[in-house]
Amino acid sequence: MSDIREIPIIARGRIIRPTEDDAAIFNGRGGAQFRSPDPHRHIHDLVMGNPVLLTDLMDTPTSQIIEFLVEVGKRLRLDDNPFFQESFELGLQAGGLSEPILRAIYDRLPAMFDGGELTERVENTIGSAFLDGWVPRDSHGGRHRVRAVGTRQLHITAGNVPVVAAATIIGGALTKSDILIKSPSNDPLTANAIARTMIELDASHPVTRHVAVAYWKGGDEVMEQQIVRTTRIDKITAWGGMSSVKHIQKYLQPGLDLIALNPKFSVSLIGAEALESEAAMDEAATGIAVMSGLMNQTACVNTRMVYVECGDDDESLARLEDLGRRVAAAYKTLPAFFSTPAAAPNPELEAELEAVAMEDDFYTVIGDTVEGGVVVSRFPDRVDFFDQLNNRVVNLVPVANLLDAIKWCDDTTQNVGIYPESLRDRVINPFSLAGVQQFVPLSGGDATKVYREFGTNPAGLPHDGIEPMRRSVRWVIDHRPPAEEAVDHLQIAAE
Amino acid sequence: MAEAALATKTVLDPAHAEHWPDLGFEALYAMSWRDCLEAQTEALRHRFQRMSGSLPALDKLAAKEGITTVDSIEDALPLMFDHRVFKNYPLSLIETRNIPKLHAWLGRLTTHDLSGMELSDLTTIEAWLDRLDEHGMIVTTSSGTTGKLSFVPRSQTEYPAWERSYMIMLHAALGVDPYTDKLETFAPSYRGGHQTALKVPMMFNTFAAGGVEHYHTLYQTHMSADLMSLAGRMQAAEDRGELERLGLDPALLTARQEMIALAKRRPQDLADWFEALFEGWRGKRIKISGLGGDLLRTAIDGSNKGIKPSFAPGSVAFYGGGLKGFKHDLPDWEAYVCDFFGMEKLGTGYGMSEVISQSPRCSHGNYHLMPMIVPVLFDADMKPLPREGKQTGRFGFFDLLAQTYWGGFISGDEVTLHWEEDCGCGRKQPYVGPAISRYADKEGGDDKITCAGTAKAYDDFLSFVSEG
Repeated sequence: MSDIREIPIIARGRIIRPTEDDAAIFNGRGGAQFRSPDPHRHIHDLVMGNPVLLTDLMDTPTSQIIEFLVEVGKRLRLDDNPFFQESFELGLQAGGLSEPILRAIYDRLPAMFDGGELTERVENTIGSAFLDGWVPRDSHGGRHRVRAVGTRQLHITAGNVPVVAAATIIGGALTKSDILIKSPSNDPLTANAIARTMIELDASHPVTRHVAVAYWKGGDEVMEQQIVRTTRIDKITAWGGMSSVKHIQKYLQPGLDLIALNPKFSVSLIGAEALESEAAMDEAATGIAVMSGLMNQTACVNTRMVYVECGDDDESLARLEDLGRRVAAAYKTLPAFFSTPAAAPNPELEAELEAVAMEDDFYTVIGDTVEGGVVVSRFPDRVDFFDQLNNRVVNLVPVANLLDAIKWCDDTTQNVGIYPESLRDRVINPFSLAGVQQFVPLSGGDATKVYREFGTNPAGLPHDGIEPMRRSVRWVIDHRPPAEEAVDHLQIAAE
Repeated sequence: MAEAALATKTVLDPAHAEHWPDLGFEALYAMSWRDCLEAQTEALRHRFQRMSGSLPALDKLAAKEGITTVDSIEDALPLMFDHRVFKNYPLSLIETRNIPKLHAWLGRLTTHDLSGMELSDLTTIEAWLDRLDEHGMIVTTSSGTTGKLSFVPRSQTEYPAWERSYMIMLHAALGVDPYTDKLETFAPSYRGGHQTALKVPMMFNTFAAGGVEHYHTLYQTHMSADLMSLAGRMQAAEDRGELERLGLDPALLTARQEMIALAKRRPQDLADWFEALFEGWRGKRIKISGLGGDLLRTAIDGSNKGIKPSFAPGSVAFYGGGLKGFKHDLPDWEAYVCDFFGMEKLGTGYGMSEVISQSPRCSHGNYHLMPMIVPVLFDADMKPLPREGKQTGRFGFFDLLAQTYWGGFISGDEVTLHWEEDCGCGRKQPYVGPAISRYADKEGGDDKITCAGTAKAYDDFLSFVSEG
């Protein structure tokens, strides 16, 4: 059992610490316990009932907001930021990611606050002109002008990677919005740590003054009934699908916009060419290992099923198994900064693997849940426990035609890995219609290069099939009368 | 102690564990588990020897674990089947009705040679299970939350001991000896079919009631195994407007519509059926057998309507399946049910489809195991917990009544097992109780949120088909 950590409530530039008679104890992950002020007593510190109080942010030019975020980013270093060190420790304790991977993620967080990156994010989505003023949208003298206006947002965030906390704070600032972050039990501190860094830097900055962070248990009716009201919240961004929205669903009503970032999984499509030569097999295996192995398969971007264009005769299946062995071997060569063996086996998944391993007519199992593994289906269907694939374990499924895999893809399918490139044009349209959200390349053969290529998305691209930044603001129209009418009215008034 | 052990060994013949239930529950519960252990170990060795070489699934596991002989219970622990083994076939075999492959899969789980059976004329899972029955198998099915059916490969070989162990369990739970005291039995359920929760009562309630005409059920039909296993798939296809494209037997589509209609009607039918029972059997001695939730719902609705059943003294009820999420605010729902129905006793037991000998609840609310089960409790790392004091962990067991399939099994239940034989009811043997929880129910208990995973669609149809 570990000691109890103190997690204050962050309330728009103020830090509210737990006291003798104002405290609530929560259970976190990995036996962690934390103590916060009783959230029931601080509802008014968390919500902003009067939206006009956003005037300060509205009047702050985007360029100044970006300058402030850049300064915040410089201070988000694990080496000398005690808030970050604590949040890192707790993240390790939660156990989702191993030390080298989590460290690498923290090391990359400051880059999210890079000025060029932030500018790109704004200009590729809303456009700073729309945030900073009224922009004419017609061709007859600017009588119709549009402005992107900040909103009051509740974010129910995911905690499997601390990137989510950082992106949420950035998104709030860049949309000139007031944000309340409900932290997840598997990462209760990252958003808190960033907000406290902001307070240290400038507690009275309009961005700092519109960030609130708290933890309460999902489903706490008092909290959710008090907070989720059209008078207090305009937009809700909920990660995690049903498990996070089921509690608040009953409070939803017209006027409250739910931006649901549902849980996703990812798949890969591998063309027949991949089985035709040793070199192609190795290149495909590396791509599959990187896409499933990065961040140890804890995220939505990780491929779990791999559909391979392949017959189900013994000779074809032998080649498919060969590819499977190469994937398992490739896991062992992945650099530790993005993928490592699991700290412990996954007993449930291990039991599934053992159960199907007994049926060698149907499945071949290679590897395990520590080193990573592959289940090769010997017939065209995924394993029944596909939604439990984790710990760097993928399922290779032979399909006569890759388009057959469409039936297993829908809006829960986020990324589709492609190998080789020659099949891309054949698959992107039908799979887009089926619901998938991004196609990514698996070729290259060098694990680090394939991995780095995943990180080259410019800021401000759509996410999960929508544009969250554009969804998060209110688009307001200012419709003015024609110029001559305005003159007429003046004349009438003058007479 | 040594004398008791010797005496026990002469009574419990290790070469014929299937005869142990013949002793009756009083004799079995008079023995200490410590005195049974040697006979149990010997019986386990015997079962392993007899099955080795003729049970492919066991041979494969034994070869993987490098086990050739079993001289202690600890030796056999690596040979316990995971609860997935009875359903580790690919679901697509059911979707495509690939009965030969499914049949070959089942064949690896039993010592019976199923290879010569005619299968070419079979088009449904239900017909396949019927055919297996005709050939001496008694396969029962159950479906978990995913709807995937598991198949427990029992046979006529197990039947005599199965029946006896069920009767002594009922006797111990209700205080009524079903061999000498036949009770008209009423079950607000479907009837027949291969689902464990229906097939087992059909076999044994009929016997305990004194004949098929004395066993009364709410419905005379049942959900076919095909419908149970394809319900989720059919719903998904219907959502896409592609139900016709699944190429299913039109009779199955009709049956589905009927089951949906039936399920909608069921609350009313249930109320009517009970009212007819209360009227028609007033003053008579009967037995009611059903799901806890159904009994409680009936008691609450009946009380609200001012109904008061009045059966003869000595009437009893036996329930299973818990309350299945039925919400109520009664401090003691069982007393409420007992009181409403005017029952002398409300009995229940602890068991699962995969074990033959079920454990009746005693007067102190505990579930005493019988020596036909060798229990083993595992900690979170799947290390066996010591046989002493009070232990909480995952429940595993060797079912010594399994003669033609391997009885070593790790369940999905977390239980507390008491080894000290200190229950106030006076019965010996290890007991489970009082709380039992399923590991699967514990997942997703707190609000850990990630971006990965699939949203499991809640499927109304599935939820009611599994009610059985």
